[in-house]
Amino acid sequence: MMGGGAVVGGLTGYVFSGAPFLGLQWLVEWTQDQLVPASGSEAYLKTICEACREKCEMSIRMIGDRAVKIESSNSGCPFSQNALQLLYHSERIDAPLKRTGKKGTVKPSAFEKVSWEEALTAVSKQMNKLIGAKKGGLIAGISKNDDLSAALLGRLIKSAGSGNAFFEPSLTALSTSALGGYVDYDFSNADYVLSFGARLFEGWGAACAMNKALVDMKQKGTRLVQADAVCTRTASMADQWLPIKPGTELILAMGIANCLKKKGRAAGGGDWMAIVDQYTPDKVATLTGLKAKQIEDVANAFAGARNPIAVGGRGGAGVSSSSAELMAVYALNAMVGSRGAQLKKSQGLGEPALSADAAAVLKDAKKYAGLDDFIKNGKFEMLFINGSDPVYKSVYGADLAAKMESAFVVGIMPLLNDSAMYADYIFPSLSFLESESAAGAAPVKAYEKAIHAGDAIIKLAQKVDGARDNFKWNSYVDLVKVYGGAVGAGAVNYNAKVLKDTLAALEKTLKTTEKFPLTLVPTELTFVGDGDGMAFPYVLKAIDDKTFSLGKLWVQINRETADKNGVSEGERIDIESSRGEIGSVRAHLTDTVAPDAIAIPLGFGHRAYTKYARKKGVNPKEIMANDIDPLTGAANWWLTRVKIS
Amino acid sequence: MAIDLDKCTGCGTCAIACSQENNMPVFEDDSDLPKRVQFLDLMKVTNDRDAKYPNVEVCYIPKMCQQCEGNDPKNPKPPCVSVCPVVATDVGDDGVVSQVWSRCIGCRYCQASCPYEARAFNWWKPRYDGSFEKSLNTDVSVASRGTIVKCQFCTHIWKRERDKAVAKGELDINAVTYTPACVASCPTKAMVFGDLNDSNSEISQLLEKEKKRKFRLVHTIDDKDEKTKEKMMHVKQFPNPKVYYLTSKAWIKEMMKFK
Repeated sequence: MMGGGAVVGGLTGYVFSGAPFLGLQWLVEWTQDQLVPASGSEAYLKTICEACREKCEMSIRMIGDRAVKIESSNSGCPFSQNALQLLYHSERIDAPLKRTGKKGTVKPSAFEKVSWEEALTAVSKQMNKLIGAKKGGLIAGISKNDDLSAALLGRLIKSAGSGNAFFEPSLTALSTSALGGYVDYDFSNADYVLSFGARLFEGWGAACAMNKALVDMKQKGTRLVQADAVCTRTASMADQWLPIKPGTELILAMGIANCLKKKGRAAGGGDWMAIVDQYTPDKVATLTGLKAKQIEDVANAFAGARNPIAVGGRGGAGVSSSSAELMAVYALNAMVGSRGAQLKKSQGLGEPALSADAAAVLKDAKKYAGLDDFIKNGKFEMLFINGSDPVYKSVYGADLAAKMESAFVVGIMPLLNDSAMYADYIFPSLSFLESESAAGAAPVKAYEKAIHAGDAIIKLAQKVDGARDNFKWNSYVDLVKVYGGAVGAGAVNYNAKVLKDTLAALEKTLKTTEKFPLTLVPTELTFVGDGDGMAFPYVLKAIDDKTFSLGKLWVQINRETADKNGVSEGERIDIESSRGEIGSVRAHLTDTVAPDAIAIPLGFGHRAYTKYARKKGVNPKEIMANDIDPLTGAANWWLTRVKIS
Repeated sequence: MAIDLDKCTGCGTCAIACSQENNMPVFEDDSDLPKRVQFLDLMKVTNDRDAKYPNVEVCYIPKMCQQCEGNDPKNPKPPCVSVCPVVATDVGDDGVVSQVWSRCIGCRYCQASCPYEARAFNWWKPRYDGSFEKSLNTDVSVASRGTIVKCQFCTHIWKRERDKAVAKGELDINAVTYTPACVASCPTKAMVFGDLNDSNSEISQLLEKEKKRKFRLVHTIDDKDEKTKEKMMHVKQFPNPKVYYLTSKAWIKEMMKFK
């Protein structure tokens, strides 16, 4: 009785003491624990962004040894803002990896971590085996763009006796193949810019340079005329939007050339101009959907401008123009004597010294015009993937993956992308924040065991027969200040036969067929690009809900076209071309897309490239057109005939 | 703040910079837009409600908390502040509508009352997938689940700059300027930020010059004459936001009106 009373008394006392509430409060605070980021002294470090040719100066705010913010004194662009998400990405590769399981996946269980010594030895052993058997020509490489690591990789592969170092078909790569160099445009001093589908302010070219150019152009009142089948932001910002039928940029260029010819201008030689003669304003109007007078007025304004430039290379980050189109647009600049479109070439590292075997193998080797030509028709037993993702980005991605299954593949990258699914070894590489630049030392130390791609190649070369003498550098740091210059490129070789064939094929594709009555054209969100942005959570956070929402990708269809095909807003549709079907996209009805066309965003549908990119939407490249251009060796995937089901 | 929609390309740099500066939580799938936790919503708009191909245009409108004032500058009454039961949100003399996440009880009344849908609710515990924690900014607290968060014009940067100035002996609050993350990052200089009360500031002069191009979101009272404005303000509190947009396109101003 006394004990019970004591218990009751004790309980009562406990309840009224406030202790349980304090306990509840403690519980609430404990479960709602707010993360408190580590503090430290604040500092601002400088570096240079190496993502593109522009080399913008960056200021990095540090709290202790943590990088927390990036600022740019130049115009900057969204990609540099993503650098911290790359630097600290949860799926960053922290050590060289060796595949232990089957190919076709990047699951952690498919790889084991190895030391650099083991990885470099295994890869060099493979190379030496091929070199020793005089099969160095079966070594290939695919780099993202013409940066230092790509130059070093090309040098290594050439030392082994192979000319099969390719670039992903960027604007620079396509232009270099078609014109002999990339076009260095002077947007800031042009008074008239005629753009053929180049989405200038949406990731095209060097984004930061284009943003700077936009500021200058607005200040100076530069007139922008944009030809495009989709009303993109660039088209809306233009002074005049030429709403052409999808894929008819080349034909429009021929029409403008025809008008310029009548004014006594010429370029390209007799055979070329003979073809120009055929593309009268009336014919071009019928094919492009514009009016003949519109075309003549534009040609007159272009010719009459003080400093006009014609800009080629359709798209944003992902560019697809035929060589004929790039030549035809460049020819317009030649016809008006434009000073604002100069052909340039990247200065490389010079030719490596070749062993007798390597020289012999190289001499007899078949040459491929470009990446897709090689993927489709070439053979390799060893492949380097240097910062690129051709399995995802090429329309021949599946073919490439099949060939990679049986080849020895080395991936050099900071995050495991779709191409890494077929890699035997992975060399983890760095972000620009961890790299030395012309501004000085790297602001942040390298992540775990990752090293600069250039260093990985230099170290590898030391172990490769016939290569080490061509790599007498200690590190990429020795080359950072000297590499990257550009020189003037020679004159364009206007190939009239290619022009004729391309036009014939294009006019055929433009004809509606009963089986495939619609056309598919690409669009991009600037911060997603053609896929690179999707690994970053803050990019996902900026995507609007008519591009991607609730896990589904949306495509844009003209209202009338949707009506004709019985498609309503938000409806789930499948899209099919002669190559196959991609499904499960939602239709957004909008008049910002030309009739009888479907606009589909690029960048989605990754199968790897971190949990943030994986399995979100579909990749239209799987069904896009895959005719390979004879000069660029790249597939021209811009315009595809499709149907909805 | 003034945002020039003729210069905005929709590149998203402002949205990403804001996320980085303000410790936005990381989600594997962030595609449920009404539930998304973000301060800056990069809205894509088009005139195709009223126009057919090819007379169409698209435009991007970066939308953050518009820092409303209400009818009377001397007695500011932003719609969200009026309804908060715990004063987790308040408006200061500087005009910024503050939000103290740790005071918020998560009733979402403010989110409902915001005319601009500028407030985000933490449906889930803010997480950073481990390693992204390394780039968290110590000037912005990490919110807890069940609280509302929103843009505060990066006033933590202002405080940082004021503290630095005070350390140097400068005590005048108006002597210190700062730039919010979004404005600092804009690659085409489409965003301008400053003191609306200072007639000599860049923003005041810009708005004075751009009388034709300036407008405010969902604030059609601006189109009315003074007498009508007074009458309307007697009836209810208008948001009276501090974010102005500039555009030469009539359709962008028109699209907010019912048809």
